[in-house]
Amino acid sequence: MANKVYQVPYGTKDILPGEMKARRKIENSIINVFDKWGYDEVQTPDFEYVETFGSTGDESNFRFFDKANKLLMLRTDMTAPIARLAATRLESGEKIKRLCYLANLYRYEEIQAGRQCEFEQAGVELLGASGPAADAEIIVLAAEAFKAAGIENFAISIGHVDFVNGLAREAGFNEDETQELKACLRRHDAVAIYEMARRMQNISQEIQKLFADFVFLQGGIELIDRVAKIVKDERSLAALENLRKIYELLEAYGASKYISFDLGLYRSFNYYTGMLFEMYLPEMGYPVAGGGRYDKMMKGFGMDCPATGFALGVDRLMLALSRLGQKNNRSWDALVAFPEGKLQAAIQKATALRAEGKSVKLATEAMTLEEAAKESQALCCTSLVYIA
Amino acid sequence: MEEYITIALPKGKLFKKSVALLEKVGYSAENVVEDSRKLIISNEETKVRFIIAKTVDVPTYVEYGAADIGIIGKDVLLEQEKDVVELLDLGFGKCRLMMAVPEAKLRGDLKNYAHLRAATKYPNCAKKYFNELGIQVEIVKLNGSIELGPIVGISEMIVDIVETGRTLKENKLVEVDSVFTATARLIANRASFKLKFDRLHKLVEDLRQVLEDEGKK
Repeated sequence: MANKVYQVPYGTKDILPGEMKARRKIENSIINVFDKWGYDEVQTPDFEYVETFGSTGDESNFRFFDKANKLLMLRTDMTAPIARLAATRLESGEKIKRLCYLANLYRYEEIQAGRQCEFEQAGVELLGASGPAADAEIIVLAAEAFKAAGIENFAISIGHVDFVNGLAREAGFNEDETQELKACLRRHDAVAIYEMARRMQNISQEIQKLFADFVFLQGGIELIDRVAKIVKDERSLAALENLRKIYELLEAYGASKYISFDLGLYRSFNYYTGMLFEMYLPEMGYPVAGGGRYDKMMKGFGMDCPATGFALGVDRLMLALSRLGQKNNRSWDALVAFPEGKLQAAIQKATALRAEGKSVKLATEAMTLEEAAKESQALCCTSLVYIA
Repeated sequence: MEEYITIALPKGKLFKKSVALLEKVGYSAENVVEDSRKLIISNEETKVRFIIAKTVDVPTYVEYGAADIGIIGKDVLLEQEKDVVELLDLGFGKCRLMMAVPEAKLRGDLKNYAHLRAATKYPNCAKKYFNELGIQVEIVKLNGSIELGPIVGISEMIVDIVETGRTLKENKLVEVDSVFTATARLIANRASFKLKFDRLHKLVEDLRQVLEDEGKK
């Protein structure tokens, strides 16, 4: 009879030797960048009471009950738990809070490129600052995190929730129509938006044209200038002005070469209130990072303050790196091997080498020099130290 | 050096018109034919590459970025709900998804079809349609000759694509309700749309112009 094959649950995976070493290196370099920019790493529970996630609770969540029959949920994103932590656990004296994390998240969804039901994100939240400086910092930090991971070729698209709101208002949309527009932007449906624009009446041709091209409103800073001459709604204009200020700061950071604007960008989280952005790599068909400003969420946790942040998908990043040809480098500096009766000397030698900072494997039994040479290769050691 | 634009084309009824339309805006290659033995055909000069794919696979190629853009019926998009950018309605390949029953099984109100069985190639669209009507229906997934369902007795209804309605008549089926009308769409991969935006934007503008001119004729 065949042995039973033990499987992991749908959408989860093991991370194997070598793979994990490469991942840890990337995680460390990302956290180091966050640290360099003054962000404190925190950790929150893998599961929380369902109300922490408020309106984001839906059927893609893993939910279960505790012994008192309270409804629990595996976390689906880190923004809400960090907001909860900041509002309930941190000293209120510090006005500005910079927090970062590495966390596994859980969403029940179809497995697609680099995204499983259990997946890892690295991210930051900057709480208490409302100006464009905070938003620029977040965007540059996302770029720096990718650079630290060894990826230089990426693109960042920036949009603004209020540009969408303003243009919807200028088009005379009511709340339902605005929601429908946002749903179309979220699923990138240029056809439906084009149809909406064609049905419009009593509206200037310029605005109608702009609206029809909503998904195509992409480009450099000149796009902002062009669109600012067309729209009249003050929310849209304020949004464009905000984007321009953020862009000027990104120039000061020397990061503007990665940046383009996408005025039709609308992400699936509904808590964004200001600028939002996504990052893309040529190696990946999906965004690899995203974030934005969410000024209203903190109030729900009892701390009314502006906030901005981003998260990047570590699994997608690792997949991109492997597509770029990065090999999992599994090796150790030395194997210390010994003949019969020399184990004590071998232990002393291995200890001394480790103290020098070398990574060392110690042979588990006595062997000849020839055997040791073979063993050293088999164990991925780059050199052999044989105690004669 | 400019990068290639890779286009996934669906075999079948949309194929010829797709090739002809793309050719008008300068996206062509030699020997782009449906029964091509080569699976990928490149034009080095214009930096265009064609993948000839099974219809239902086109959105998958595009979603995963194996192709930057593709042409596919809206019916397939609605069934698969892939995460792609829907760029342009190409107007051709018009068809309708509808619900039909044998003449003898007609029932006055739509609600009266609750708890029956519906054979379809579009289980997701059918499920959504009946859900919105507020009735429960057993969906029987078939991969072809849907109109056989009621004849051989595995379903009372069908939810299927009609173009002319002839097949329905020949099988003594009556259309009860229309679920949606669909045409061919130009779709793009999300990352490609950002990273190759200028070329793709121009392609959409050019196609729009061609379609407009054709409409005027």
